[in-house]
Amino acid sequence: MDDSRTIERTAAQWLARRESGAWSARDQQALEAWLEQRTEHRVAWLRLHAAWEQAGRLRALAAGLPPGQVPERGRWAAWAAGDGAPAASPVPDLRALRFAPRPPSRPARWPRRLAACLALAVAAGAGWGAWQLSGRQQAHYASAVGQVREVALADGSRATLSSGTRLAVYLDRGQRRVVLEQGEALFEVARDPARPFAVEAGGYRAVAVGTRYAVRREAGALRVVVTEGRVRLEDLPGAGTPRPVSLLPAGSVATAGGDGVLVRSLPVEEAQRYLEWRDGFLVFDDTPLEQAAAEFNRFNLRRLELADPAVAALRVGGHFRWSNLDAFVGLLEQGFPVRAERHPDRIVLYAR
Amino acid sequence: MLNDLDAWFVREILVHERALAGYLQRCWPHRDELHDLRQEVYARVYEAARRERPASPRAFLFATARHLMTDRVRRSRVVSIEPMGDFESSNVYPIDELCPERWTGGRQALRRLVEALDALPDRCREVVWLRRVEELPQQEVARRLGISGRTVEKHLAKGMRLIADHLFGGDPARGRGAPAAAAPLEEGHGRQQDD
Repeated sequence: MDDSRTIERTAAQWLARRESGAWSARDQQALEAWLEQRTEHRVAWLRLHAAWEQAGRLRALAAGLPPGQVPERGRWAAWAAGDGAPAASPVPDLRALRFAPRPPSRPARWPRRLAACLALAVAAGAGWGAWQLSGRQQAHYASAVGQVREVALADGSRATLSSGTRLAVYLDRGQRRVVLEQGEALFEVARDPARPFAVEAGGYRAVAVGTRYAVRREAGALRVVVTEGRVRLEDLPGAGTPRPVSLLPAGSVATAGGDGVLVRSLPVEEAQRYLEWRDGFLVFDDTPLEQAAAEFNRFNLRRLELADPAVAALRVGGHFRWSNLDAFVGLLEQGFPVRAERHPDRIVLYAR
Repeated sequence: MLNDLDAWFVREILVHERALAGYLQRCWPHRDELHDLRQEVYARVYEAARRERPASPRAFLFATARHLMTDRVRRSRVVSIEPMGDFESSNVYPIDELCPERWTGGRQALRRLVEALDALPDRCREVVWLRRVEELPQQEVARRLGISGRTVEKHLAKGMRLIADHLFGGDPARGRGAPAAAAPLEEGHGRQQDD
């Protein structure tokens, strides 16, 4: 019997053939026979059919564009990411502006200098833009709370988004840039010495050439876990007084805050444990319950709240499925002097 | 050619694919089986609805998923890493009751479509644009791109699958590997197997 992927491919072939224009009554009969054969066929076909019908809405995008030309990728990226109307033209490449020296603030010469700078910026922008045009790509990814999502990036790297994560990816010929807007993600970086891979978050950036590492963003802090290769953690360019650069070999768990970077070197297997959320687990080892609760809360909309400081200070260890908050609370009730009050949107723990 | 039941299925069941995929992913340790699991859940729901439409389609969908996983564990007698209790946990519901996946209609849907389009491999994206957006005839698209009509069709079929994955947002299909795979290197159809 065909497996589900084969069925899906076959369904797609039917649909594509039906769209091809050369579709006879015989074809239609054959398709109907195939659909009747197994319910699996029908549901696979319905799914693709529904999506393809929806895709017809894309026709709205063609308005005002020259016919017969496929617009470049990322044309609607800014709009798709959030606000505003669809951009009439591609998003201007503002990064080109850094090629222009900053005009010194001398009022008398201001207009002339400004004009010169603008001209330079425009020229640099045009050249830089033209050079990059074909190589530029931009994409935005997000995961909902409770969802872990893997995405393949256009350069061959992979990103795994932890619960409640948002990131933006900018690729061009010279660099690979990821802005981690929220949450945590693991990056398996495709090797490309000519294009460093940089993840930016909270005033820092973690740069790698080809490696595997996770970056996590929290209020006021950033955590980088390296499980393969080597990562350079440095300031974002132009972010005030430069702080020292940290080199992080595999096994490093670095926590960066406003005050600097704290690096712990662990055996790689131990560092891996920070990434078990990927497989659906949270791992605690003599962890204060307060911290464990915060971890669970990253992954669940139903919150775990601690009513007493005595409860918050309890230390827990073990391997837990983050999707199963109830089981975790059940174990706590069995093993610790706590009492749980269960509400639909939260569970509150009291000292017993 | 959609009948009533088909329309119901699209409207009431497929819209929950993202939530369903998340649920399956959390409960089922074997990622490579998720695609198949999803399809079987759909088939079971469809068949049951043929007899009688469930009053609460969403709850019925999740119950079906739960039963299917239980059946499979029993059948295979494989000891799951997780206690069976995991399937029973009801914490799947809150997740997207707060953010319902209504992909039909509205700007949100168009956004997702745009993302889906941009995430397609190059050649595939060109074909989808010219066929679906500009609605040029297949032969015309083949002529412009300098490929055969058959190849246009292949790219189209692939585009349909990738767009569905992105749009429904579930994509357990690839376990690792997301709907949003913008992989220009992948455009050769020699590699169609592993998109």
